[in-house]
Amino acid sequence: MLEAIIEILLKTAVILALPLGALPIIIHVERRGAAFIQKRLGPNRVGPLGLLQPLADVAKFMFKEEVHPSHVRPFFYTAAPVVALVVAILPLACIPIFAPIEIFGRSVYPEVFKSDMGIFFAFAASALGSYGILLAGWASNNKYSMLGAIRACAQMVSYELSLSTSLVAMIFLYGSNDIHVMVAEQTGYWFGFLPKWGFFLQPVAAMLFLIGIFAESNRLPFDLAEGESEIVAGYHIEYSSMKFALFFMAEYIHMIALSALFIIMFFGGYSLLPGMELIADRIPASLAILQALSLIIKVASMIWFFVWVRWSFPRFRYDQLMNLGWERLLPIGIANLIVTVLFVYFRNH
Amino acid sequence: MAADILLTFITVVFALMVVFSKRTVVAAFSLLMTLLSIAMIYFQLGTVFLSAVQVLINAGAIAILFVFVMMLINLENFTNNREKNKTKLIIATFTVLVILGVLALVINNNIETLSLVNLADNSMKALFEKLFTTYYLPFEMATVLLLAAIVACVVIASHGKKAEEKQ
Repeated sequence: MLEAIIEILLKTAVILALPLGALPIIIHVERRGAAFIQKRLGPNRVGPLGLLQPLADVAKFMFKEEVHPSHVRPFFYTAAPVVALVVAILPLACIPIFAPIEIFGRSVYPEVFKSDMGIFFAFAASALGSYGILLAGWASNNKYSMLGAIRACAQMVSYELSLSTSLVAMIFLYGSNDIHVMVAEQTGYWFGFLPKWGFFLQPVAAMLFLIGIFAESNRLPFDLAEGESEIVAGYHIEYSSMKFALFFMAEYIHMIALSALFIIMFFGGYSLLPGMELIADRIPASLAILQALSLIIKVASMIWFFVWVRWSFPRFRYDQLMNLGWERLLPIGIANLIVTVLFVYFRNH
Repeated sequence: MAADILLTFITVVFALMVVFSKRTVVAAFSLLMTLLSIAMIYFQLGTVFLSAVQVLINAGAIAILFVFVMMLINLENFTNNREKNKTKLIIATFTVLVILGVLALVINNNIETLSLVNLADNSMKALFEKLFTTYYLPFEMATVLLLAAIVACVVIASHGKKAEEKQ
């Protein structure tokens, strides 16, 4: 009993520490990446290569005066950033970073919440992501905030549909909703060199999912919830200092969680990157570390992709966004689902 | 046992808040909390899949739409507009009594089957086998009801449009 409690506490500490520890690095990469793409220098004064800039930012956020506007609804205004952050962290509880291993005679699962329904839980938790934004927009009692919240809400509900259709298609294809089985299905190579990743099996579903996660995490080209040129800063216009930082953190952690889900379904999750088998064969004990490393490298590449897209595409117009979601992506998703189901049926019979 | 009682208590308190809260948005968020605590009850009973679906669909999509619409039309200007109407009160009481009676009948007649729900096997396969064999009729009835609701919505919406065009 005690062992189990210690295990869960340790795992919780890890899933909290990993993304929160990676945040300053991600934010630094985002700023330097933006500068690189726009031919600027970016933050390069604090520490070597400007690496200490995020720390300076944190110190600034901590000591900044907190402005609490008088026209807000106090309870919901304070609750909103907390809701946003908690809901963003929740999906990480179901994401395994390596295969189950044996330590001291007991098999240890890497995820905090071990269940074969893990992937549904991760999705359910990320579907709640819009509540933080909605609460913030409504509680701020401000027209711009309200507009931002309403936009975010409509956008997230619309794109969740195409996201779910591609999720269901992949579950049919792998024949299981257990994340470990999904990853096992993607381990190995076709023709000796091409990794058995879901992306090569189902590029359509992968594209749908990719567009969906951009919309879900409110990143450019889908950041209509913030839209600086139209509604100032959208839902977090009334928030300052640490409360604003919580929203910022929530956005990035949501991004990490959705990228991890994307990697699990389409890029082999924690299955080893090509070339890593050589090390794993020589030193079997390093397998779990290599798997964790593979997942982290894959997620990091996804984050870089997010940054790349953010500074390469302009923002959508609102009606274009809705048309894309409902008239393009959803029909493609449903057609893809039907084709996949037929394919799986004839493969199994 | 304690967890069951606590969860039921939370669910009922939030459900009452949905009805009695004076601010509509607070009521909508209470509805969300009710749905989430029902998901927790499912989880407590061991039906993990149902619990996840409850969060994903009811809390993640349907409740959001409620909150969305309430924010959009700014219902806050319409607080305290409950009419104290005698006929309405009588109809409401009658409806509540009928629903309670039906529920009592259902629970009374199916108390054994309800307590016999097999929780050891809560996989998706077992659940859907039950749904598509034993409970196929109620399942289809529910889909027909939903279809009727959709058709009604379309009719109401298009009717309003025609009237607008005539003006």
